[in-house]
Amino acid sequence: MTKPKIASDWMCGCAGCHMSLLDMDERILKVLELVDLRATPITDLKEPDESGVDVGILEGGINNTASEEVAHKMRKRAKILVALGDCAVFGGVPAMRNFCGVEAALKQAYVDADSNEPGSQIPNDPELATMTKTRALHEVVPVDYNVPGCPPDADVIFYVLAELAQGRKPELKNELLHWH
Amino acid sequence: MVQITINGKQIEAPEGTTVLRAAQMAGIHIPTLCDHKELVPYGGCRLCIVDVEKWRVPMASCTLPVSNGMVVNTETEAIKKSREFILSMLFSERNHFCPFCQVSGGDCELQNAAYHEEMTYWPIQPGWNKFAVDTTHPYFILDNNRCILCRRCVRACGELVGNFTLAAAERGAASMIVADTDVPLGESTCIKCGTCVQVCPTGALIDRTSAYQGPNAEFTEIKSVCAGCSVGCATKLIIRNNRIVRIEGDWDGAINHGLLCEHGRYDPMNESRTRITTPQMRKNGKLEPVSWEEALGAVADKLRPLAGGKNGVAAIASTRLPVETLAMFKELFVGNFKSELVTSTEEGMPTAAVTSFAEKNGAFEGKLDVLRTADTVLCIGANINRNHMVAGFMFKRNLPKGTRLINIDPEISELDYLANSTLKNKRGSDMALIKGLQAIIVKEGLGRSPLDIPDADGLIKKAIGATGVSREELTQAAQTLARSISPVILFGKGITAQRDEKLVEELYRLAVLVGAVDSERNGLLSIKGEANSLAATLLGLDEAFNLNGQQAVYVAIGDDYASKSLVERVSKAPYLAVQASYESSLTEKADVVLPVTIWSEQDGHYLNLDGHMQSTQKAITAPENVRDNMAVLSEVAMRMNMTMKSDWKTSVLERKSSVALN
Repeated sequence: MTKPKIASDWMCGCAGCHMSLLDMDERILKVLELVDLRATPITDLKEPDESGVDVGILEGGINNTASEEVAHKMRKRAKILVALGDCAVFGGVPAMRNFCGVEAALKQAYVDADSNEPGSQIPNDPELATMTKTRALHEVVPVDYNVPGCPPDADVIFYVLAELAQGRKPELKNELLHWH
Repeated sequence: MVQITINGKQIEAPEGTTVLRAAQMAGIHIPTLCDHKELVPYGGCRLCIVDVEKWRVPMASCTLPVSNGMVVNTETEAIKKSREFILSMLFSERNHFCPFCQVSGGDCELQNAAYHEEMTYWPIQPGWNKFAVDTTHPYFILDNNRCILCRRCVRACGELVGNFTLAAAERGAASMIVADTDVPLGESTCIKCGTCVQVCPTGALIDRTSAYQGPNAEFTEIKSVCAGCSVGCATKLIIRNNRIVRIEGDWDGAINHGLLCEHGRYDPMNESRTRITTPQMRKNGKLEPVSWEEALGAVADKLRPLAGGKNGVAAIASTRLPVETLAMFKELFVGNFKSELVTSTEEGMPTAAVTSFAEKNGAFEGKLDVLRTADTVLCIGANINRNHMVAGFMFKRNLPKGTRLINIDPEISELDYLANSTLKNKRGSDMALIKGLQAIIVKEGLGRSPLDIPDADGLIKKAIGATGVSREELTQAAQTLARSISPVILFGKGITAQRDEKLVEELYRLAVLVGAVDSERNGLLSIKGEANSLAATLLGLDEAFNLNGQQAVYVAIGDDYASKSLVERVSKAPYLAVQASYESSLTEKADVVLPVTIWSEQDGHYLNLDGHMQSTQKAITAPENVRDNMAVLSEVAMRMNMTMKSDWKTSVLERKSSVALN
């Protein structure tokens, strides 16, 4: 039997969920025995195989056109899509900018904040992605499994990966279900 | 009894029980949010919906009474789906950011309910609308972003506390929890009891001191009793690392049923006095830190020759101290020292007249619970809105339901605004007023038991003249009281401080006349003062503290405040020994200061105003070099070669109590 292929990527998050993944310590070797780890943001291969993967994992919410692309690409190439962490599941902390809107958030960050040089401007390079409202992954593409937590515990990530790798449906409940 | 079936289980429940309560009694869990066992069922959140066979739609089990043969299912697929939908709607309505909410991770009933449904996400995302955060209150914060409009706070404020500050404004999705006419909480009529915070199921109302100090699972909880006043409210001390992070009312408390007032919940958390952590002795006119050995030795050397002598030692102890400490204090200074002046800091003001009446007539007072069912409360000389507040909650909550309040007080009091009749009699005219009320009732034939009043007209005239209260006002109050079915007469320091047993007697006669006291019930209560007012008077520590040339004064103030007048009186004494927890103008005057434990650092008993003996245990460890109040007294005794043997439980029974003890 071939090992299931797994790929991951991050969008509007803090990388904390991937740190939590690494936090499973030596159990990551067990995971590697079970799966064929393909692209991740912390390994050399950056994009999920064009030929497709079995499980795609996304950390972070969707806050601009670039992360929209990441989400759509992963959805297209992964049989099973997992939203990892509160930002991917709910929008999380970055979604708080939805209260003021993109314009006000950019102005505060690049112009009004005291740490800016006088005369600073909002970056407007045409190559930059366009900012959007921050959304949860399921608002943009269909999600198969939501794994909440800020970040999800390493135990939870290990459980989810181990179940998926062995072709079972992970069920988050009781001590495995925590939103933060 | 009614037979019903819940999830296939046959259950018998009394008629009138709700399906929710019947399920709870049978150990079946139905998720709820707006429900609270001390509040009237409300049916607001709908989370408790259940399927009733042959009924068209799911029903809220919290407001659905059981009926014979009812078949209820709480875990059908349809019900589970509906519960998830209800929770989805709740999460989408406001802004619930669990990662940085104080109650997330075990203490949020909303989050726990979602976990129960195994929700891993919100099917409906929030609308990203901003809601106000009210930070104007000194003790708590209202974050409307986390409010689910269950109205537990609103109901607790009205139904339990009787303050009716909180309300819900607007309707539907626009509903908001507001104080009064939508004013900031800090500027509202809030009396700062904090009950709303204690009942809030989410992080919408959070306590300033304990917020973000950790989840409840990381705290230890120790049951205690509030030492703030004579009501004796049961509390739960929430402790972390030898520090109280929060005080809660104990829902199982026999007297307060979970309620506390500002003095019980917040005052101890905002203690600003400086703690004394080492014994001190006056040397060259200045207080210097010394060892316990030196300080106790000096006190013993000073007191030893004065024992038994005339004008020897005068001693005074705080009525905030536990009963056993007061009993030991009495044994040391009355039994061993043979001092002529041994009393307590309240000097019997709230109790002496009551106890001396009881010594002749036996127990005559009722229990606090009688206030809950009173249809008229006559408050005389008792500002129950400022002190002994929880006793006030017991009837204030019923005022909108028709309970009448008659307030008699020469001083302006907050109760005046709530009262149906307010009699502002002249100072010292209470006797004439009480007799006037009796006379009107007898003259109009409204009495429920006979009372012989030969010259009713004369007494009424005298009452009007002496009190400055008009005939109409007096008559109206008398009629209201006499026409009530379950009246209660509550008297306080305004009466008892006059040290006139006759006043108590006339109040008793009035109570019998109007049926407040009969063979069935007893609706006459004195509110007393501090935590151990009653114990102090029963121990005989209730005389006025009039110093008369005593060579030395020993003050056991504990963690209490010393009154200005006490400090003035004792500062004239040639020698002053003080055992105290905090620095004050009293300790400044002392020759020796012995640092002692505060209420939470010692074991002890408290005898509340209606005779409940309650015990507390040491909840936190005192600072190094601070000793227990009892230990200090026995050290003093030991150095005098005095033996302490009597049992405090017997000493407290030496005098007849005005209220039955239990």
